[in-house]
Amino acid sequence: MTAWLVRRVAASVAIVFAVVTLTFFLLAAAPGEPLLGPDERQVDPHVRAELIRQWGLDEAPPVRYVRYLRQLARGNLGLSFSLHRPVADALAEAIPNTLLLAGAALLIDFLIGLGLGIYQALRVHRLPDVVLGNVTLFLYSVPTFWLGLILLLVFGAWLRWFPVGGMSDPILCPSVSSVYCTLDRLWHLVLPALTLGLVGAAGTARFQRAAMLEVAGQDYIRTARAKGASERRVLLRHQLRNALLSFITLFGLAFPFLLTGAVLIETIFAWPGMGRLATDAILRRDAPLVNAAVLLASVLVVAGNLLADVLVAAADPRIRVRDTT
Amino acid sequence: MTLTAWFALLITLGLAAWTVGALRRRSARHEAGRRFFRHPTAAWGIGVLAFFVIVAVAAPWVTSFDPREQLDIIQLKSQPPSWSNVLGTDVYSRDLWSRIAFGARISLSVGALGMLVAITLGTLVGAVAGYYRRWVDAVLMRGVDVGLALPRIFVLLIAIALFGQLPLAVLVLVIGLTSWFGTSRLVRAEVLSVRERDYVAAARAAGAGGARVIFRHVLPNAAAPIIVSAALSIGNVLLLEAALSFLGIGVRPPAPSWGNVIADGAPYLATAPWTTLFPGLAIALVVMALNAVGDALRDALDPRQQAKEST
Amino acid sequence: MLSAMLRPRRLVVVVAALGLVGAATACQRSAGCTGAYCGTLVFAAVGEPDILLPPSTQQVAARDIEEQLFLKLADIGLTTNTIGDEDFQPLLAERWEWDGPLTLVFHLDARARWQDGQPVTASDVAFTFDAYTDSAVASPYRANLRRVASVKARDPQTAVFRFRERYPEMFYDAVYHMRVLPAHLLRGVPRDQWKTAPFGRQPVGDGPYRFVAWRAGQTIELVADSTFFLGRPAIRRLIWRFSPDLQVAATQVAADQADGREALYTPENIARVRAAPQLTLYPYRGNAYGYLGFNLAANGDTTQPHPIFGDREVRRALTMAVDRARLIKSVFGDFAKVPPGPMSQLWWIWDPEVRQLPYDTVQARRLLAARGWRDSDGDGIRDRAGERLAFHILVPSTSQTRKQYAQLLQEQFRAVGAQVEIDEVEQSVQSERAAAGKFDAILQAWNNDPSPSSGVPQVWSHAGFRGSNFLRYDSPVFDTLVSRATRAASSKQARPLWRAAVETINADAPAIFLFAPDNVAVFHSRVVDVRLRPDSWAALLRTWRIPPDRLIDRDRVER
Repeated sequence: MTAWLVRRVAASVAIVFAVVTLTFFLLAAAPGEPLLGPDERQVDPHVRAELIRQWGLDEAPPVRYVRYLRQLARGNLGLSFSLHRPVADALAEAIPNTLLLAGAALLIDFLIGLGLGIYQALRVHRLPDVVLGNVTLFLYSVPTFWLGLILLLVFGAWLRWFPVGGMSDPILCPSVSSVYCTLDRLWHLVLPALTLGLVGAAGTARFQRAAMLEVAGQDYIRTARAKGASERRVLLRHQLRNALLSFITLFGLAFPFLLTGAVLIETIFAWPGMGRLATDAILRRDAPLVNAAVLLASVLVVAGNLLADVLVAAADPRIRVRDTT
Repeated sequence: MTLTAWFALLITLGLAAWTVGALRRRSARHEAGRRFFRHPTAAWGIGVLAFFVIVAVAAPWVTSFDPREQLDIIQLKSQPPSWSNVLGTDVYSRDLWSRIAFGARISLSVGALGMLVAITLGTLVGAVAGYYRRWVDAVLMRGVDVGLALPRIFVLLIAIALFGQLPLAVLVLVIGLTSWFGTSRLVRAEVLSVRERDYVAAARAAGAGGARVIFRHVLPNAAAPIIVSAALSIGNVLLLEAALSFLGIGVRPPAPSWGNVIADGAPYLATAPWTTLFPGLAIALVVMALNAVGDALRDALDPRQQAKEST
Repeated sequence: MLSAMLRPRRLVVVVAALGLVGAATACQRSAGCTGAYCGTLVFAAVGEPDILLPPSTQQVAARDIEEQLFLKLADIGLTTNTIGDEDFQPLLAERWEWDGPLTLVFHLDARARWQDGQPVTASDVAFTFDAYTDSAVASPYRANLRRVASVKARDPQTAVFRFRERYPEMFYDAVYHMRVLPAHLLRGVPRDQWKTAPFGRQPVGDGPYRFVAWRAGQTIELVADSTFFLGRPAIRRLIWRFSPDLQVAATQVAADQADGREALYTPENIARVRAAPQLTLYPYRGNAYGYLGFNLAANGDTTQPHPIFGDREVRRALTMAVDRARLIKSVFGDFAKVPPGPMSQLWWIWDPEVRQLPYDTVQARRLLAARGWRDSDGDGIRDRAGERLAFHILVPSTSQTRKQYAQLLQEQFRAVGAQVEIDEVEQSVQSERAAAGKFDAILQAWNNDPSPSSGVPQVWSHAGFRGSNFLRYDSPVFDTLVSRATRAASSKQARPLWRAAVETINADAPAIFLFAPDNVAVFHSRVVDVRLRPDSWAALLRTWRIPPDRLIDRDRVER
C-alpha cells in the first residue's frame, strides 16, 4: 500500500510541475502586454518602459522561468502586476470564497441529486419519475452561465427574493458578526450555489437512479426480499453506501469542474472568488497571479484525485490490486 | 416572417418527424434498434436533432431575413417577438430567428468537428495505452492526468490568447485538443478488457502487427462506449463554445453562433430577455436531445445485454 | 436516516425555525442614527481599484475614492474653466498669489490635518511633487507636470511653485494633477516599492472622509471626518460596491440594493432606472469622446503609408459614408452628441459650428470611384489593381459601446462597398497592437482631463508618436496651431486658433469622430444638493445631504 502511495504522490508532484511549466510558457508566448491602466486613459511611454523594467518583463522567458522557480522554492509566489500586492494575499482572500461556493454547490448536488435519484427509482416509470426525468435532463443540458443569468434576472431583479450579486450586505454585514450576518451570507449564497449545484444535481440524480435500478435486479436483493425484509429499507441501505462511495469520487473529480464552472458564475454574481480572480488576471496578462492560480488549481485537482483514490482503495482492496501501472 | 418561410418551417417539422419514423422502421429489424427506441426519450431526441440539422441546412429557406442585416437600428432595435420577427430582434436590429437558424450551422459544425477531433485523439491514445501497456501506458496515462489536472477554462483562455483572434478551424482544434482526456480513459479500460479475449490472442499468434490488431479486432469490439461518448461529447463541445463566446473569445462576429448570440444579448437581459432566452433554449434542447440519444445508445449497445441474448 | 430528515413536514419546521431566529436577531438592532449627519450611500461601481495611491493609478473608482481621502491645493469650479485662477476654489491652500511671472505662492490652511493628527505642511507639498515626478514611482501624471520646474517649502505654511515658462494654464497644472501626500508616512518607503506598500491599501489622508476598510473584490468603506476643517460632511458613510459587470451594477441600483452610480451608459439601463420610483436621474456633460481611427501607416510597418488609409481622399470618403447622428441615436438614444472634432463635451473648445465633413453617401461613392476604387468583379466590394477595399477594425471586448459601433459601422461601410472585419480582442492585446501600429482601423475612446492642452497634443500631434498617437497623424499645420493655442494668453485669443486646428484635422480626416456621451448618473431620490462636477462626479460629495425626515433603514445604522 505504501509503495503504491509513494508512487502516486511522486507522479502527482510531477504532474503539477508539468502543468505549471506549461502555463508559464503559454502565457509568456501569448500576445498582449500587461495592462498599465484603463483603456481610456493615455499612458506615458516613459511610464510603460519603467513599469516593464520593474516587473522584469524585459528579460527572456527562460530567464524569467528560472527566477520564478527559485522564488517558488523559497515559498514566494511573487507580486501581482495588476493588484499591486503579494499574490499570496490576493489568493488567500479569494480561495475561501470559492471553497464556500463550491462546497455549497457540492452539498446541493449531493443532497438533491441523491434524493431525486432515489425518489425516481422508487417510483420508476410512473408519472413523478417521467416528469423529474425530463426536468433533470433539461438542467443537465443548459449552459450553466445561462441558467445563472436567468435565475438572477427572475429571482433577483424581478421577484427580489434574493440579492443581486455580491457575497454579503455591504452595510450591515461586512464580516460575519452575528446570526443575522450568517443568514445574510447564506441568502447571498443561494442563487450562485443553486446555479452550480442544480446542474450537478441533475447529473447525480440520473446516475443514482440508474445505479439503484441496476442494484434492484441483483441476486442478494432478491434473497433479502425472500427473507422478508422491507424492499425499501434494503435498497436504501445498500444504495446509500454505494452513493457515499461515488460521492467520494465525485468530490475528488468535481473540483476542476467547479473551478471552471465557477469562473462564469463568479462573474455573473459578482462573487469574489478564485475563478474570477484568475480570469481577470489572464485577461490583464498578470503573469504572477495566473501562474499561482493555475498552480493552486492543479494542486487541488491532483490532491482531490489522490484523496479520492486513497479513500476508495482503503474501502475496496480489490481496486488496489487492479491498478498495475 | 414570410409565408414561404412558415411553409418551409412546417416542411422541416414534417421531415424531422418522418426521419424518426423511418429510423424506427429500419432499426426494428435489429435487437439493438428495438432496444434503442424502447427508451422513452430516444425518439424525441432523434426528432429534435433532425429538426435542428434540417434547419441548419435549409436556413435560407426557413428564415425571411439575412442574419447579418440590420433592419432599422433605431426603430427595430431590441424588439420583442412579433409577426414579422417571430423571436424578436437583437440590439443591432437583426432578426433573432435568422441568427439562431444560421447560428445552428456554425454551432452544430463546431460541435461535430470538435467531437471528432476529441474522439479520434482520445481513442487513439486510449487504444495504444491499453494495448501496449507497461511504460507506454504509464507515460500516456500520466499525460492524460496532466491534461485532466489543467483547469480547462484557464488553458483555453491562455491558448486562445496565443492566437489573438481565433479562426474557426483553430477554435475547433483547440476545443477538441482539450476534450479528449476522458474518452482516452474510457477507451483504455475497454481495450484492457478486450485484449484478453481469444480472438485477439489468435490474431497475434497469426503474426498480425499491433496496429492491425488494434484496428481490426480490438476497436470494433470496444466501439460501444466510444459511440456513446461521441454522442455525449458533442453536447459538451456546444456548451463549451457557448461559454467561450460569452467570455468574448469564441466565434467572431458578425457570424452568428448560438454562443455569441447569447453573449450579444447578455448585457440587455433585463430589458430584452428574449435575446438571451431563445438561443439558450436552443442549446438546451439540442444538448438534451444528444443526452437522450446517448443514453438510449448506451442501453442499445450494452455488451452485457448483448451477451445475455447470445446465450 | 437521510430520507427521514428529508420528509417534507420536518423540513418545513426546520426552515421556519431558522426564519424566526433570523427575524428575532434582526429586530435587535439599535434605534440608530438620527439627525442631519446620518446617512449611508452605497455606490454600485464597475471595476475595482488596484491601489489607493494617487500618483500611481488612473483607475476610475480609485480616483473617485481618492477624491474623498486626499485634498488638492485648490479645486476647479463647476464650469471646469482651466484658464487663469478665478474659477478655482480654495481647498488645502486658503489663498495664493503670484510672485513674479513664473512663481506661484500658496498659503496653506493651518487647520488642515492628516487623519493621524499631524498637520499638513508645505514640505508635504514639496514631497508630493518630488514623488509625482520621480521616475521610480512611474506616475502616469508625470508628463502633466513637465512645465513645473520645482516646488519648495518656504515655511511650514507656504509652498512655492516655479515654472519653466509662462502659459495660461499654469495655475491649473499646479493644482489639478497632484493630490498632496503625507511625507511623514511615505518618506521611509523606497520609491520603487510604493505600489506594493501597505499605504496603498490602507491610505491615510487629509480629506473629508476617512478610510475604514477594503474588502477585496467586494467593497471599500469610508466614514465622514467630523472635524474636517472645511465643514463636516453631512453623509456619514460611503460604500463603494464592486461588480465586474455594468448589468449587475445597474440591476443592483434598480433593485434598491445600491443608492446609485455615476453613469448608466446605455439607453436600456436609463429606461430601466427611470421606471424605478425611488431614483432620480442626473445627466451631465461627459468627459469622453470616441472615434474610429485610421492607421495612416501600414499595418505593422510604420515606415510605409497604409495602402488604403494613406490616401486623404479615401479617408474623407469613408468619413462621409457614416451617418454619425443615426448611430448615436441607436447606441445612446438622446444621451450623446456628435463631437465636432477630437473633443469631449467637457472642453471649452466645444463648438458645433466648426466645419466638418457632412454625411453624404453619394459624394462618398463618387470620391471612392474617383480614387480608383471601383467594383470590377461585381461582388459588392470595391477593388483597385487587384486589392480589395477591405480592412479590419480593432475593438476591445470590454467596451459594449464600441462593440456595438463596430457592428453598426460594418454595415455603413458595406453600403459604400467596403468590406470590414471586426477584430474583437482583449484589452491587453488592444493596447499592445495599438502601440505597435498593428491594426488597420481602431475604435478608441478617451476619458479626458478638463483641459484640451494635454489631451489633444498627446493623441494627435507629432509629439505623441511614441505615446498615444497610434494613428501617426502628422500635420505640421495642425501641430503649430495647437501649440500656439495652448500658449495663447487668454481664451479669447486661443479660441480662433483651436477652431482652425479642429477644422484642419476634420479636413484631413485621420479619424471619424463618432460620439461624445452625456453621463447620466442616477441616485436615490432622498439625497438632496446633488452637485456633479463633469470632470469628477464625486468631487462635491461632501456637500450632499439627506434631510432627517427622509432617512431610511440603511441610513440609521450606527457602526
